Amino acid sequence: MRRLLPLLCLLILILSGCHGYKEHGAGQESELHVAAIAGPVTLNPIFVRDSASAEVASLLHASLLITDPDTLEPMPHLVSSWDVLGDNLTYIFTLQENAYWTDGVSITAEDAAFTMRVICHPDYTGWLFLPLRYVAGAQEYKENHQSLFADGLIEGIEVLGEKTFSVTLKEPYAPFLSLLTFPLLPAHLLSAVEVGQLEAHEYSLKLPVSSGPYLLAEWDADEYVHVKANPDFFLGKPEIDHIYYRFIPNVETQVIELLAGKLDLIPTAVKVEDVKLLQTDPQIKIYTNPRLVYDYIAINTNKDSPLQDRRVRQALATLVNRREIVDNVLLGYADPLYGPLLPLHFAYDESLQAETVDLAAARELLVAAGYNNLQLNLIFNAGNLVRENVALLLKEQAAKIGIEIQLSLLEWEAFLAAVNEGDYELAILGRGVEADPDLSYHWHSESLGNALGYKNEEVDLLLEQASRLTTQRERTFLYRQAQKKILEDIPAIWLYSRQAIHAATATLEKFRPHPESVFFNVHEWTLKGGEGSQ
Amino acid sequence: MIFQLVRRFTQTLLVLFGVSVATFLTMHWAPGHPLQANPELRLDPTAVERWLQLRNLDQPLPAQYLSWLSRMLRGDFGQSLLYNRPVIELIRERLPSTLLLTVTAFLIGLFLALVVGIYVAKKQNSWVDRMVQVYSLAGISVPGYWLGIVLIICFAYRFPLFSAVGMRTPGDGSLPDILQHMVLPLIVMVFHNFAYYVRHVRSAVLNVLNLDFVRAAKARGLTDKQVMLWHVLPNSAIPIVTIAALSLPVLFTGAMMAEQVFAWPGIGRFIVTSTMARDYPVIMTVNLYTAALVAIANFLADVLYLFIDPRLRVKA
Repeated sequence: MRRLLPLLCLLILILSGCHGYKEHGAGQESELHVAAIAGPVTLNPIFVRDSASAEVASLLHASLLITDPDTLEPMPHLVSSWDVLGDNLTYIFTLQENAYWTDGVSITAEDAAFTMRVICHPDYTGWLFLPLRYVAGAQEYKENHQSLFADGLIEGIEVLGEKTFSVTLKEPYAPFLSLLTFPLLPAHLLSAVEVGQLEAHEYSLKLPVSSGPYLLAEWDADEYVHVKANPDFFLGKPEIDHIYYRFIPNVETQVIELLAGKLDLIPTAVKVEDVKLLQTDPQIKIYTNPRLVYDYIAINTNKDSPLQDRRVRQALATLVNRREIVDNVLLGYADPLYGPLLPLHFAYDESLQAETVDLAAARELLVAAGYNNLQLNLIFNAGNLVRENVALLLKEQAAKIGIEIQLSLLEWEAFLAAVNEGDYELAILGRGVEADPDLSYHWHSESLGNALGYKNEEVDLLLEQASRLTTQRERTFLYRQAQKKILEDIPAIWLYSRQAIHAATATLEKFRPHPESVFFNVHEWTLKGGEGSQ
Repeated sequence: MIFQLVRRFTQTLLVLFGVSVATFLTMHWAPGHPLQANPELRLDPTAVERWLQLRNLDQPLPAQYLSWLSRMLRGDFGQSLLYNRPVIELIRERLPSTLLLTVTAFLIGLFLALVVGIYVAKKQNSWVDRMVQVYSLAGISVPGYWLGIVLIICFAYRFPLFSAVGMRTPGDGSLPDILQHMVLPLIVMVFHNFAYYVRHVRSAVLNVLNLDFVRAAKARGLTDKQVMLWHVLPNSAIPIVTIAALSLPVLFTGAMMAEQVFAWPGIGRFIVTSTMARDYPVIMTVNLYTAALVAIANFLADVLYLFIDPRLRVKA
């Protein structure tokens, strides 16, 4: 043993000298190391269903349009300009003159038409058909197209020239532009592939050709995606030469690696508890921005329960102290929410801000509804500490007015199954919304996304009207009215909209996250002094 | 002997069949399905339907099982629903990095356990023995997850000697680079392995040490070394071989915890992700291959017993 000890020490010394992290000096290529909880599952931008794939896709692909990070108004991107014809039905789009695929082929209107045909094809299984169903002939193409390929024509999509195409809608639909935020597929590579085979096609794994600020260098199944700057990107070659998107499933390890200087950025999901620790390090900067997500308590009114009585729902709604949740549970990194419109939406109604916690009134409502005390069950998913705390706070408050809330903590899949089958009375849920304030997806009675089964004909009418109008002022008026009606029915209790919290090395400059995409302006990012990870 | 082997083989096949049916049913009866919609994302229910149709997941369960069985018997384990690639390919990619970690940890742990176990058995009730006893209890009880984080804080942050993430530095991947990435996960795994094995080695050796034939051997004037090598070790080998053989399947399924904490790109993490994602073909294949490994390991242990212990040969 005594003889082994020096040997062991030597081994440790040798190995610890083997740190592979390269030192970066002037003139060397810059590297940015970004943390991710998980790796992507596909690189094909129109089959993205998880956030890791979406983040990587935003590095590799350029979308047709983007939305402004502050106002969420549609802005040019791959589409350099557009015209709307007088009837608000036909849009004429022009693509960037200098936009090329990474193999040198020009990005054309045919690529756009092809991509939209794929999305409308009966065998397409991604999520993008919803925005395109307003295009004239799209529904018919989806129902009647016989060929296995995305060939033929969609009535409302017309290629007008190499770089111009037009899209005609069935009826005016105001949010349309804000939904054209998907990238294109290269028609010259993929038009001969059956749409049903596209998801598993080599393109989704190897991505030989793309259009974004970065191009794929290496995708190591469980370690990292390495992308390098695309010299021909239409907005100019990105400043940072290499980005390593590294999969580190453990968030504590991520934080330690950032503190140790081996990571440069933890995007979006830094835990509120970790912010204080990270702020003590002068080498680290914290960024926050609002997001298009919110948490709420869903109330099941379709099941025979006291919750069918509006007064009981109102009693519950008057119990929730959102300020307290935001300040104490989320440490201020959220906005309290009083209705389905988010502060980011142009139609957001600030006058709803007033907090209305009133135990006496709540008790009165309960008694008026004929209940002296009652039992309700609340489900929420395991592993989300914030929601667990919200559940406890609600239980405590409700007990004061004679409502006993039974808490059931469920595993994620079991939780989703219970929600989908309506097997709950109250459920704490999260939800993502679009950049446009259009409330139809979640609140129109005939929408596929109306998971709560909410039905109010007046709301339906207001939403239909609003989506056909074009001026923001008129639409704001209608959406606020719809929101007011929804709030009167109390189908849910809105809680808060959490902010994205990013932690980055202080050398990272021009980092400007978008509510929907952390890599929104990645081509502009720079590392001070050309330094990256050490 | 031949008859016994055939019987064991048939038993194994039946067990594997049972495991595949049980896995299949639990997987499909468990809540959720592979495209379970996350309510935070927008989804298109008609697309979900088409997705299930294209993958034959809309068929009744018995039909799905039979088609899986017939494909499996022809060597086709199917495509991962999540990654859209052949399951076998996905497993093959991840197995080497897992084996690198688990086999090394296993060998180091076992070697240390043999050396230390024998030593403390000889010195029963000495202070060294007591320390090893306490350590071995701690080694089994300390959560690897916690130890991993402590090691990362100490040796990757405070005194940055080793890397804490992954198997190699992006863009590097040379042997020394991989070795220094292995250090921390190995410590966590060996800390646990060794604690576990050393208990067994110690008690196996102790049991034999107190037997009459050992005393007789000593009385015949053999040295301590001779007694240990010729008499004690061969006779205490059976429980040690059992423990080692039972570790075999774990070598292949990986060290889920260490892989999770240290972001090691192995099969353990893959199994966790696939199970969470309800990736049926992957789960079926992994369970079947784990079950097969357990069966093989047991079988190997039995065969080894026959070699080690002449008494068993006579009985057989």
